[in-house]
Amino acid sequence: MVLNYLANIGRFVPEITLIVTMVGLIFVEATYGDEEKGSSKGYLYATAYLGLLFTLVKLIGSLGDAPIAIYSNSLVIDPFSTMIKIIMVIGTAACIHLSRRSSDVYENLKGEFAIIAVGVLIGGMLLASANNMLTLYIGIETLSILSYVLASLKKNDDRSSEAGLKYALFGGISAGIMLFGMSHIFGVTGTIQFAGMLDKLKDLDTVQIAILMPSFLMFFAGIGYKIACVPFHMWAPDVYEGSPLPVTTFFSIVPKMAGMAVLLRVTMVFFSGDQNVLQMSWIATLSVVAALTMTVGNVSAIGQRSVKRMLAFSSISHAGMMMMGVLCISEIGTRAIVFYGITYLFMTLVAFYITSFVQDAYGNDHFERFNGLIHKHPLMAIFMLITMFSLSGLPPLSGFIAKFNIFSALIDKNYYVLAIIAGLNSVVALYYYLKIVKLMVFKDPESDEKIKGFGFTNQLVITALTVPVVMLGIFWDQVLVMANGAKIFIVQ
Amino acid sequence: MSGTSNLLNWILWMPILGVLGILVIPKAKAGVVRLWSLANTFITLGLTVKLWMGFDNALSGMQDAFTIKMPWIKQFHINYHLAVDGISMPMIILTSLLFFLCVLCSWKISKQVRGYYALLLFLQSAVYGVFLSMDFFLFYVYWEVMLIPMFFLIGIWGGENREYAAVKFFLYTFFGSILMLVGMIALYHATGGEADSFSLLALREHADKFIGMNVSLFGFDVPFDKLFFVFMFIGFAIKVPVFPFHTWLPHAHVQAPTAISVILAGVLLKMGTYGFLRIAFPIFPGATVYFSECIAVLGLINIIYGAFCAMAQTDVKKLIAYSSVSHMGFVMLGMAAMTSQGLNGAVLQMFNHGTSTAMMFLLIGILYERSHHRWIVRPDGSKGFGGLYTQLPVYSIVFIIAMFASMGLPGLSGFISEALIFLGIYSKYTTMTVIALLGLLIGAAYLLWMFKRMFFGEVVEECKSYEDMNAREIFYMTPLCVAVIVFGIWPSPILNIMKGSVNSLVVLLAKYQ
Repeated sequence: MVLNYLANIGRFVPEITLIVTMVGLIFVEATYGDEEKGSSKGYLYATAYLGLLFTLVKLIGSLGDAPIAIYSNSLVIDPFSTMIKIIMVIGTAACIHLSRRSSDVYENLKGEFAIIAVGVLIGGMLLASANNMLTLYIGIETLSILSYVLASLKKNDDRSSEAGLKYALFGGISAGIMLFGMSHIFGVTGTIQFAGMLDKLKDLDTVQIAILMPSFLMFFAGIGYKIACVPFHMWAPDVYEGSPLPVTTFFSIVPKMAGMAVLLRVTMVFFSGDQNVLQMSWIATLSVVAALTMTVGNVSAIGQRSVKRMLAFSSISHAGMMMMGVLCISEIGTRAIVFYGITYLFMTLVAFYITSFVQDAYGNDHFERFNGLIHKHPLMAIFMLITMFSLSGLPPLSGFIAKFNIFSALIDKNYYVLAIIAGLNSVVALYYYLKIVKLMVFKDPESDEKIKGFGFTNQLVITALTVPVVMLGIFWDQVLVMANGAKIFIVQ
Repeated sequence: MSGTSNLLNWILWMPILGVLGILVIPKAKAGVVRLWSLANTFITLGLTVKLWMGFDNALSGMQDAFTIKMPWIKQFHINYHLAVDGISMPMIILTSLLFFLCVLCSWKISKQVRGYYALLLFLQSAVYGVFLSMDFFLFYVYWEVMLIPMFFLIGIWGGENREYAAVKFFLYTFFGSILMLVGMIALYHATGGEADSFSLLALREHADKFIGMNVSLFGFDVPFDKLFFVFMFIGFAIKVPVFPFHTWLPHAHVQAPTAISVILAGVLLKMGTYGFLRIAFPIFPGATVYFSECIAVLGLINIIYGAFCAMAQTDVKKLIAYSSVSHMGFVMLGMAAMTSQGLNGAVLQMFNHGTSTAMMFLLIGILYERSHHRWIVRPDGSKGFGGLYTQLPVYSIVFIIAMFASMGLPGLSGFISEALIFLGIYSKYTTMTVIALLGLLIGAAYLLWMFKRMFFGEVVEECKSYEDMNAREIFYMTPLCVAVIVFGIWPSPILNIMKGSVNSLVVLLAKYQ
């Protein structure tokens, strides 16, 4: 037994590295942290970057390894989870870098941001690998509880505190509902292992189905809350707006991808078999929720004044788009989601990075602050413009290819109506993305004041993030092969 | 499969080389930017002429010598596949010519010259991409990419209400292309996702298979080919624009700068009809035949409705914009005939409308540079122009040529194509032919009425200070004048190019009638 555990550690190194990094960060902050001087920052970020870099290298190295279930089947390390973890690690690193540059995170709290972000990442990684109900729940809670703290990071700001409280309340309730659903699933199947449940789900009588149907709905509520899909999205806009900008960026990447990964895994594990009533009702639920999520997210984004809030709504609609890939329950669907995740990561980062520097320079992130950006910072404005076009799904940018893949998965399963709904939604989305483009290009700048945030390093970082946004739209063959390799391993 | 010549690559990427060059030129050197763009478009024009020289009129399919095919995305069997045939060749000639002239006619633009020419050349490359792509995915990419430079060209260099026009144009076309995207992916999966599933040429082979298939939509079984024909139809119809999808056009035209109006009316509208001929018709021949009457009726509505709308306009640019709607109706009508004369007439009309309407827009641009308004009758009821004939004799003569060509007067290019269309349609839809002929009459009426109000009568005071066309303007009007007159008397150079390809399409469609 003990040997078995030790043998498995090899596949668990990324997570362990992150735990060590997190503890190390706490020590660094405690030892060198000095509110006056802020002298600990160098060590702190060095530790964080090193830890994340090591994790990333480890993850990329293990992409080709055979899938395996470790620790009594509680975790499964397969190419799919590794891929999602890579996305989340890059996202976390970029967000920590952003928090370092952003004035939206108070100087004395930057250390805390890094520590908690790594903590959330650990939760997300557990979630991506979860192979039984317990790991899933622990993952979700680790992710959530730390997120509540992140949301209220601006301690003195009313809106930030409100965001934290709202997040915690919603999160607590949905976790409770989810647990309730899980307990019923456990009651019917008698196991918490996904592998064991799979056998039980094969032959069910009517009563059991009658119990399982609402239970799965409740189970879905918990996951749905994490990815902020309608009707569990109510918290998202306020939380996204109230939180400091780097936190918003973080929220729209890491918890979302983790939630999407677990939703996909649950769907693939439980419902990829023969057609039955449970499967059909699950697909129906997902279809309605996905369509609603996209539509509500997009329609609400139109009227926003704050770019951050607009991006928050747009990230809700992107979650809806990714869910369309989930409900296909096919390998093409999985591949599409992985591809979508990769492109979504870069697009979101570029958009939030630029918004962050604009906000720091002009005090807020209202649309008007983008006026005439192209006259002041042509390169940055062009990157923002590319990202906006990519987010709305215009070729030859990566956002289009991501959408193309999702459409392909939908039509492969003959879900034409959903494809059309998704298509019409991207027209709506184009409208509000164009709004920023319009302001940046057509309007004259409000003031001549340059944006200090666009220093050389930051421009370099933003350039590095924009390159994939363009390149993945043109040379996506190899990336698709990679995404194709990210298969979900179903433990029998 | 690839041919021996790399010419299509050169044509497609030459404008992009131009863009890169512009980015290197310093901001202050506006003159260099203009000359560079002129040289670039001239080289492309030269390459097009070379392509025309090498074009084999006897071939009815693709010109194999020029075909370029390379794998792009192996996972989806998407190829970088460029080829040219008799339907796209006239469009390529038109594009090369009009962009060259547009560089000349935008000489006076002084706002962000670099950006303007870079976007113009970028647009040119995208337009070539649409006409040259024989892979549906590649086609779609270019179809959409083209929107981006158009959006900025209208939005930055346009008139007062330019932002609204730019956004409306963008959203409308994007809506259409989304439906096309769904159709494209459906076709891919319907063919089994095998090799060449995105190839526009290979998809034709599956036409019979599509006819038998059904799609379940909300529990109803809908015939596959009819459903996706409609999707494609809407996508292309917005571009043409076919009534009732035409409402973006007048805004875009009125707000766009002259050169962009020329491109929009001269080339971009043809993309819609080209899309029908390249994609919707050959891939869904059954549905095409099934819906042919609808297409004819829509074409007819375009003709009559566009003509009446044009008559009501007091802004001369809007008038010409609506006349485009009317003229594109003839193209639709010719296509709906599905006879040899009808389709040949339609393609010829695409080319001829490109030259004649480009002339009209260029002339209005010339006038606008002098008057800074375009009112035939100002909103307060006073005359905007009057007696121009005595003031601007050269201008008036060129205007008369353009107007008569647009009207379809015998001896000028518009007549040949319209006559062919009527010949083609008459045997099929006799009543419609008669009504469409009435449209021709209304067309003559609004154009002559406009001419009377602007060029005859008392000279309006401010018109006295206008100068006649200068050498540059005469220079860029000349090729179009020559084209309009020469192809009016001797249309065979263009007809010979297209005949083979168009007739093979007619044969294909005839099987399903």
